[in-house]
Amino acid sequence: MQKAINKKSERTAAYLFVVPAVVLLAAFLIYPALQTIRYAFTDYNIMRPDRIKFSGINNFIELFQDKNFWIAVKNTLHFTVLVVPFQTALALALALLISSRRRGVSIFRAAYFSPQVTSMVVVAILWTVLYNSNPDSGLLNALLVKLGMEPCGFLNDPKTSMNSIIFMSAWQGAGYQMMIFLAGLQGIPKEQYEAASIDGAGKVKSFFYVTLPGLKNVIQYVIMITVIQAMKLFTQPYVMTKGGPQNSTRTLVYYVYEQGFQKRNFGYACAVAAVFFVIVISLSLGMKKIIKAD
Amino acid sequence: MKKKIAAVLLSAMLISGLCMGCGQVKERVNEAGESVITVWSPSDEPAIEQWWEEKIAEFNEAHKGSIHLQREAIVRADSYAYEDKVNAAITSNDLPDILFVDGPNVSVYAANEITLPLDDFFTQEDWDDFLDSSKNQNTYDGKIYAVGATESSVALYYNRDMIEEAGIRIPETKEEAWTWTEFYDAAAKLTKDGVVGTNIIMDKGEGLPYVLEQFWISNGTDFVSEDGSRADGYINSKEGVEAAEFLNRFIQDGYANIDPIQKEFHNERAATMLGGSWEVATLENDYPDLNWGVTYFPVADDGGIPTSPTGDWVASVTKNVQDMDAVKEVMNFLFSKENVTTYAKAISKPPTRISSYDVLTEYNEYPRSIFKEQLMETGHPRPRTPSYSVLSAGFSEAMLNIFTGVDAQTALNEAAAATDKDYNKYYSGE
Repeated sequence: MQKAINKKSERTAAYLFVVPAVVLLAAFLIYPALQTIRYAFTDYNIMRPDRIKFSGINNFIELFQDKNFWIAVKNTLHFTVLVVPFQTALALALALLISSRRRGVSIFRAAYFSPQVTSMVVVAILWTVLYNSNPDSGLLNALLVKLGMEPCGFLNDPKTSMNSIIFMSAWQGAGYQMMIFLAGLQGIPKEQYEAASIDGAGKVKSFFYVTLPGLKNVIQYVIMITVIQAMKLFTQPYVMTKGGPQNSTRTLVYYVYEQGFQKRNFGYACAVAAVFFVIVISLSLGMKKIIKAD
Repeated sequence: MKKKIAAVLLSAMLISGLCMGCGQVKERVNEAGESVITVWSPSDEPAIEQWWEEKIAEFNEAHKGSIHLQREAIVRADSYAYEDKVNAAITSNDLPDILFVDGPNVSVYAANEITLPLDDFFTQEDWDDFLDSSKNQNTYDGKIYAVGATESSVALYYNRDMIEEAGIRIPETKEEAWTWTEFYDAAAKLTKDGVVGTNIIMDKGEGLPYVLEQFWISNGTDFVSEDGSRADGYINSKEGVEAAEFLNRFIQDGYANIDPIQKEFHNERAATMLGGSWEVATLENDYPDLNWGVTYFPVADDGGIPTSPTGDWVASVTKNVQDMDAVKEVMNFLFSKENVTTYAKAISKPPTRISSYDVLTEYNEYPRSIFKEQLMETGHPRPRTPSYSVLSAGFSEAMLNIFTGVDAQTALNEAAAATDKDYNKYYSGE
């Protein structure tokens, strides 16, 4: 009898503990998400919140014919497809470099992690200066010219602007994944390396046959979060390029901001956000499936 | 049991915190029974911040027991950050009583009934004292929706040493202003040894339409029709495309930088600059060794229209106002003859009140006289259209695209189409 009462009261306590999280999630995530979907079917202009009219699927019809929307989809995928492998490989390489117990390693660990501590806005402004297309003021171009090469447009050239953002994003973000990889590396038993070396495996072989398999779960996790983060790309185009030149860095989230706040087409922006939501959800579900099937 | 109590307390705390956050209403009457009037304006240089502090203290002292004035300085990190904050406040019905807005946005807010007409705020005698350029900008549909203390203008600054060395003519009167061809030739001649001929504003934001619209006007067209309802056939007209192509030649030929360094002209890396009236004070105070001069805004070839930009941030009264009498009192105080004069002096911009020029006599003398003359005789405010935000963003984007290789006609067509689409969607039926 006493046991039953205890169980019941424990259950109540459990529910009560869950309440705060659920309330917060409902207020700041679920309710806004539902509102977004509702507004996606209206002609909501941010300047006239009292004159919202239901407009059916007009926004979605417009969206699928909107050239700029498809460019934003393409740019977002371009960024994700390139930045994820690049950043993950970079992070793994850095982790391997500093996983050894040599002296002074902690300095490098701090150095590699430091871009992550700095706000993305600050990093973006700094890189805008580095990337400046004018060799008199852009450091990278000054270097190129010194080496006898032609200056590069970087952010001002639609052919290089997105790749310039990819490079600086990976540079900024890799430190965090490096930390996760470092933790993963420490979880690989030493005995496996010893066994490998007894069997005659060199550094390269033991990387492919011991380190990589040992890190499998960590790599999956890192790729998953990097993909989702990459899809949300906003700060860099907002600070560095305003989506240009020639649409080359306009991403989906930037397009939502641009339509919703700059052009005040809130209903339309909500429709873009809803489609974005569907894309991200299916991407994560798809990745989960692939990982499971593995 | 302890666990349960802890859980109850925790949830109660969170939920009550949440409710408080949502339910917070702007304080309208404070503990002393004073009507609270809130002003939002962009945070500014120390001299202006100090002006606000002094004036608010002065006003509150004089109205003890009845009105309490307070100001929230909002950071205007880049050209659109302030608008983002206002947009959010519109959605949550949380606007201040008095809202400072950038000139061209006056019509945007007025058309959407976010701000109220101010015609009866001042006496006719007072209104007559304000410059026409300022009143024009602040008028929408025949009513005045905002009032400002300062104006702005843009003219052509030049490095006197470089221009004299190159033997280029300096215009002395408005009639002698450089034509576009002269401007271009001068830039070509002055570009050498790491110095570019001119500096075109490149802020990727509001600065572009503010300065560059004049090239459209001077060439006989504009961004939109007179009533603001149409952009197609104006911004992308033959004359408009000509203007864009003219500007693009500076970039393509290397006479202006698409990525200028900070203060390019001030640091003697650009020989000329289309710069604002506020630069006079910067150059005088911070660059005393630079030998510079300023002349009139260039005019299109073959009898182009003499023109120059005008417009500045202005104060409007929002629909969320409660104590209208108190707001009127505040507005009359902020824009009194004396305060317009002191504000203009602090911010180093030309005042909007004609009578202020009797006190600020520096505007009768070169170089400031150039700006005063332009304001009174050739000033054109930015287009008055409720679709201004779309137009402004579309134009900045189009120019950047043109500068990086897109055909001018194509780029401007796109800006025109976006603007007209917005107008037809929200405003044409009214």
